[in-house]
Amino acid sequence: MPEESILTEDREGRGSIQRTLLLVFIGITAACLIWLGGMLLAPYLGSRSSPWAGPVYFIYKPVCHQLASRSLTCFGQPLAVCARCTGIYLGFLAGLGIYPFIRGWRRPPLPSGRVFVLISSPIVLDAAANLLGLWDTSNAVRLVTGIAWGALLPFYFIAGIADLIISRKKRLKSARNCP
Amino acid sequence: MIHERPGMFQPALVGGIAAGVLTAVPFVNCFCCLWIIGGAVLSAYLFNKRSAVALTPGDGAVLGILTGIVAAVTDSIVSLPFESLNQEFVQRFMDQFSQFVEEMPAGWERWLDQRAGPMSPAWFLLGLLSSAVIYAAFGALGGLIGASIVGGKKSPPLQGPPDEASQNPGHRQP
Repeated sequence: MPEESILTEDREGRGSIQRTLLLVFIGITAACLIWLGGMLLAPYLGSRSSPWAGPVYFIYKPVCHQLASRSLTCFGQPLAVCARCTGIYLGFLAGLGIYPFIRGWRRPPLPSGRVFVLISSPIVLDAAANLLGLWDTSNAVRLVTGIAWGALLPFYFIAGIADLIISRKKRLKSARNCP
Repeated sequence: MIHERPGMFQPALVGGIAAGVLTAVPFVNCFCCLWIIGGAVLSAYLFNKRSAVALTPGDGAVLGILTGIVAAVTDSIVSLPFESLNQEFVQRFMDQFSQFVEEMPAGWERWLDQRAGPMSPAWFLLGLLSSAVIYAAFGALGGLIGASIVGGKKSPPLQGPPDEASQNPGHRQP
């Protein structure tokens, strides 16, 4: 194959990767905003005495203990998830905000295991100490440790989902090219 | 040399059942979504142990999604005996909730009564469906974290053009 065509194909491949990453980023951001919107919708509906407040709280039940004493309040009522989970989801949104400035639209590597352990240690220590009764942190501390951990997660999620789509596309393409 | 990949179902089953049981049991379930992420990391570890090639992020995501779906089914089944305890929890939640509002939302008691009786197949399926979607997303995240922790210790799979990610075994940062 002439060198020029290799370069053209490489440029096309890079363009396809960038498009995929951008679409994955938009999709994940939209899903995150809907999820955060639901968290606010539950107390809003509750404050309006709507019968739909219960089912909206029910949607978030599988992923959070929903203890009112450990939840932040909005519209005078507890959010659909606890302060720590709220922090994780807000951190996820913040991570999405900084993602393009740190990673750009290249096919990115996953963060290393060391980075994961380092950023996870505050939330793990705080949660374990609370569970064991060593100390009882305020909702503000739970929120902050959640934000710190949640901000790391988009760097896994975008890279992984994009890799999944790109590798499936490649497999399909090579299967089509094979006689 | 072409490396053979082991099936994903078995590790996903083990990780999903472990995560589903821990998510369903009262008190232990206080770690919220972290059990699902942990179960998916376990699946990634088990898959990587049996595989001759490195676990890619894409494989980690698929493995995590499968783990999340298995966890949702397990959680729904294991939760059934604890339903009365969950009712107590919902009642306690409502008691705490009532401290924040002057007037409770209309229809709350009816909604609680519906949930207090034997669980209807419709409620069961609705809960299973919403859990499956949410757990699959958290599972994918866990599978990706697992891939970054355990995935870079073997040779990468032989496919795809060279780019930054595939040149880096396990797609991890240096």
